[in-house]
Amino acid sequence: MWHKSVVFFEVEILDAKTKDKLCFLDKVEPNATIGEIKSMFHKSHPQWYPARQSIRLDPKGKSLKDEDVLQHLPVGTTATFYFRDLGAQISWVTVFLTEYTGPLVIYLMFYFRVPFIYAPKYDFTTSKHWVVHLACMCHSFHYVKRLLETLFVHRFSHGTMPLRNIFKNCTYYWGFAAWMAYYINHPLYTPPIYGEQQIRLALIVFLFCQIGNFSIHVALRNLRPPGSKTRKIPYPTKNPFTWIFLLVSCPNYTYELGSWLGFTLMTQCLPVAFFTLVGFIQMTVWAKGKHRSYLKEFRDYPPLRSPILPFVL
Amino acid sequence: MLSLRHDTSGSGPCSFPDSVNLTAAVVQDQRPFRVGVMSAAAPGTSKAAHGDVAAKKKKGPGALATAYLVIYNVVMTAGWLVIAVGLVRAYLARGSYHGLYYSIEKPLKFFQTGAILEILHCAVGIVPSSVVLTGFQVLSRVFLTWAVTHSVREVQSEDSVLLFVTAWTVTEIIRYSFYTFSLLNHLPYLIKWARYTFFIVLYPMGVTGELLTIYAALPYVQKTGLYSVTLPNKYNFSFDYYTFLILIMISYIPLFPQLYFHMIRQRKKVLGHAEDYSKVE
Repeated sequence: MWHKSVVFFEVEILDAKTKDKLCFLDKVEPNATIGEIKSMFHKSHPQWYPARQSIRLDPKGKSLKDEDVLQHLPVGTTATFYFRDLGAQISWVTVFLTEYTGPLVIYLMFYFRVPFIYAPKYDFTTSKHWVVHLACMCHSFHYVKRLLETLFVHRFSHGTMPLRNIFKNCTYYWGFAAWMAYYINHPLYTPPIYGEQQIRLALIVFLFCQIGNFSIHVALRNLRPPGSKTRKIPYPTKNPFTWIFLLVSCPNYTYELGSWLGFTLMTQCLPVAFFTLVGFIQMTVWAKGKHRSYLKEFRDYPPLRSPILPFVL
Repeated sequence: MLSLRHDTSGSGPCSFPDSVNLTAAVVQDQRPFRVGVMSAAAPGTSKAAHGDVAAKKKKGPGALATAYLVIYNVVMTAGWLVIAVGLVRAYLARGSYHGLYYSIEKPLKFFQTGAILEILHCAVGIVPSSVVLTGFQVLSRVFLTWAVTHSVREVQSEDSVLLFVTAWTVTEIIRYSFYTFSLLNHLPYLIKWARYTFFIVLYPMGVTGELLTIYAALPYVQKTGLYSVTLPNKYNFSFDYYTFLILIMISYIPLFPQLYFHMIRQRKKVLGHAEDYSKVE
């Protein structure tokens, strides 16, 4: 009987900081992936589940990907890897669901004037201004949309993020939601100066950008087959809302900015303007990063595109 | 708050955080018996570090930037000396500690506000400190100078003002001369020692003065509604400066111990183990 001789690898895993030998695996298949090696390492160190393992070739180097195959890495038949603990991890889905549910619930608490927020005589009353009802509908719609997208639309490249992010993110979203909601639903709220015209324009901008943002999310989802982590250049599709891809790398952020500008105009509320500004700054940082990685990864990346604002930013 | 930078070598001529520590060793310890230390392989540094230090020393902020920084630090040292002299002269003339603020009000405002340039130095990269940290420290000083002491006239005659002004004055004279000498590669051990020792008393002293001053300002702020905005208004925004000041006071509780113990740790590293160049922060 023929019997193929396979060269098995030996894998040793050292701590990146102390260089201590943490684990030795022998008889590892040459076509084993880093992901599989992480699972094996997890068996000997149950407190370090694969998501919190960073495995690299060099103690100070970049993390290897789960998909990387052992025999394709620049290692000998005894491979030495370095391990760094990324800390407790939490899934992106969990973080998104938590950080978006907060604003939804919190805003409604202010809208319904739950006790202990405003003076007792206003408890459980509603605002006399119809724009306040409209704003509540828009704000709620926005976060419901985000929750549904998290559950059914988005395809995440990373499964997890560090646990401390959930506290940071929730403080941001929940804090700002409370701050905005307090003023919009306040008994002494002043409606927009230009009245119905201003509110109508704001609503159109808001809805347009919500549809736009959703269209981009769907387009990005369709770029990536289920369960894969491939990256491709996004292009305009038949949907006119995606034609903005001609000019911008991250139109989801562009539309998001537009939505919040619309909401600011609708409510004429300075805290909303602050929230829009801070969000814009953060999204610009992310857009620039994404744009840079597109440029690095794809030689034929369309030169006309800007990260977030056509021609400007 | 007292200005305590997190970098150990201060506004030195090096622009790389890693090299700061090794170059600081070269810069600050000029005495012959210490020179041999540079070749000692300290934990975390490789033998190559010796060569690296020489290379990195060349990569500093450049001659022009160094000249500018020297001038900046000399001017600031002089400015705070003016304030110190002003305080002493006024005390001798009046015979009491009361109301000395008025005698140095203008130079205090000028030189403390001028420190905003230090944020720019970090942003541009000629100083290796963090923009955020420097910004925070400078702006908190500027806040106390303008938004509390200047804005609330009634606290200007409080003794607490003298407390923090004195603390700031002594600290800044030492700090700016420390930077000046470091840039010129001739740092007397006395200055380095003073920088890493005086804070032990000056920092709590300054913090006490600052907190007492803010506390003294509270009733006036509440009464006059200073810097406060109420509803209703067309921007649907409100701000209560009184509550804001109370929150500022509360923020000292987590912040002060962290900064204080950081400096104590820095002191141990810089002064305590002169022969052992363990990698500083």
